[in-house]
Amino acid sequence: MSVPNAVIRVEGIRKTYLMGKTEVHALQGVDLTVEQGELVAIMGASGSGKSTLMNIIGGLDYPSSGSYFLDGIEVNKLSKNELADVRNQKIGFVFQGFNLLARTSAIENTELPLLYDRKNRFKNHREAARKALERVGLGDRVDHHPNELSGGQQQRVAIARALVTNPSIVLADEPTGNLDSKTTVEVMQLFQELNTEGVTIILVTHEDEVARYAKRVVELRDGQIIKDITQEPDSAAEDLRDLLARREAAQEADTAGVDAAETTANQ
Amino acid sequence: MRAFRLIKVAGKSIVKNKMRTLLTMLGIIIGVGAVIIMVAIGEGAQSQIEEQIQNLGTNMLVITPGAATTSGASQGAMSFNRLRSEDAEKIRSESIYAAGVSEVIFTRTQIVGGSGNWRSTIHGVTTDYPVIRDWELRSGRFFDASEERTGKKVIVLGATIADNLFPDRDPVGERVLVRNVPMDVIGVLEMKGQTPDGNDQDDVALAPVQTVQRRLSNWTFIRQILVNTYSPDDIDEAQEELTAIMREAHGLADWAPDDFEIRNQEQLSEAAQGTTEVMTALLAAIASISLLVGGIGIMNIMLVSVTERTREIGIRMAIGARGGDVLTQFLIESIVMSILGGALGITLGVGGSRLLGSSMGWATAVNTETVVIAIVFSAAVGIFFGFYPARKAAALNPIDALRFE
Repeated sequence: MSVPNAVIRVEGIRKTYLMGKTEVHALQGVDLTVEQGELVAIMGASGSGKSTLMNIIGGLDYPSSGSYFLDGIEVNKLSKNELADVRNQKIGFVFQGFNLLARTSAIENTELPLLYDRKNRFKNHREAARKALERVGLGDRVDHHPNELSGGQQQRVAIARALVTNPSIVLADEPTGNLDSKTTVEVMQLFQELNTEGVTIILVTHEDEVARYAKRVVELRDGQIIKDITQEPDSAAEDLRDLLARREAAQEADTAGVDAAETTANQ
Repeated sequence: MRAFRLIKVAGKSIVKNKMRTLLTMLGIIIGVGAVIIMVAIGEGAQSQIEEQIQNLGTNMLVITPGAATTSGASQGAMSFNRLRSEDAEKIRSESIYAAGVSEVIFTRTQIVGGSGNWRSTIHGVTTDYPVIRDWELRSGRFFDASEERTGKKVIVLGATIADNLFPDRDPVGERVLVRNVPMDVIGVLEMKGQTPDGNDQDDVALAPVQTVQRRLSNWTFIRQILVNTYSPDDIDEAQEELTAIMREAHGLADWAPDDFEIRNQEQLSEAAQGTTEVMTALLAAIASISLLVGGIGIMNIMLVSVTERTREIGIRMAIGARGGDVLTQFLIESIVMSILGGALGITLGVGGSRLLGSSMGWATAVNTETVVIAIVFSAAVGIFFGFYPARKAAALNPIDALRFE
């Protein structure tokens, strides 16, 4: 069952934790294949096992049984150090809390993964980081520190950091969890744009609001996949346009109201 | 290249947390500074004590006639009057350890001049004598080689005689009578004080040995030969060599016992040196404890720092840092901090001991050895106390580390 463009192939993965004395079966036989160029949302309530699945896909954790292939490499058979190298070369992480280093400029944060690149694929770290920041639209903020950036901008830096190594896949864990609705749409628009450029993206989320921008939605419950559908995604760009138009209208109405009130007061 | 980048990362992290860095280094700064100051004080004290002992004549050997045995009864030291000028001459020409050689003969007599008269001992000596005894002149000059050779009637007075005969003026240029022989006073010796057993060393007058032999005492045998070596370390070798020369000079057969005695003050100097060595070691030990405490301070802060930076470690691991990379980063941080602290400590130590030296008038000596040891030790402290926190950081599970609040 070889899929030619499969970036991720997960076969019969189980994960069992020991919480005190009780065994927790976080994943109970998950099969999942993600192909090159997909934009997948993995959904599920908390406790559904989606974080566990993401940790395994992201090479942060080992499955109890089953196998996981990333770009044809059987990841679950690798040593800790090899796993670290896989995370560095093939995976770009985006976290809910941004997870940028404080007191470190945007460009220094972005070039961080290149420090651990043992293959030295990039000769000029600065230049690679600058390009990644330009790609997420922060070319004019390279020297800003995280505390000088808005939440949306911080998440863009995090996305640039995920992209800088040209990974096989970008893994985003609740990437919009800390963002307001407008910024959420902006970030989703960026993901859609990157996907159009060919970046494979997996989003882990519990919000339908986010999942509707994905081409494919996989839903987990009690450690098993209960739904796997392909859909026509909403366009974040359009939504953003609508959103802005509505806000402008509301603002105009506001100022008009104030003007009317002022006129009345003056008379 | 990678190592260089890791050092750069460590450097940045150190610079970004200036206050934390400074507090961490403080222990090392004080520790290293204290070690250097303490050792400098110890060594300063040691060199000062050594100098004082040198004053007593640690590199001096005294040759005296041996004990004569008359019908089986020993007559005690000095009873065997068999030292002659020829012996001193032989030592002068043959010894390689001897720096200066001086015959000494004594005669006790009345000195008349100035405001009265004074009974004292006149030593007949050579020009080497003030060097051997490390004895400076308060005024005037010592007699020279030609005055010595020709037996000129010149005399150098000790401070006690000078002060008693000429209480109100400098006796240089005056004339005194010794056994009715008029002698010109050409110099006055610096005050040397008492010997440990209470003899006044300044109650003495020095004249050329020839003068004393020919004009004052008619006594050709020599009471002592004083020899000094170039360094106190040569004493043992010099003693052996002098024994051989003296035996040859006296034509002694292999089986015959020495008919002379050679003594030195090595025991005195050894005791004093031992004392200062103990003192230096004690001071260094106290200072080392503060360095150790400084090291524990580094470990403490590094441990706190690992906890505080758990999330950072999680991020670094998630984006591909190996456990080894994290270990290296933290280890480099602690080493850089402790070496930096060590360098500041050296500055503090050198400055402090200079200041102490000049303000208290102590001879503090900072040597390179201490500085090198301090640097090596502080780096070792960094590695030793940095390793545990670094390993703790490297052993973190990235998932837990990322979730850490």
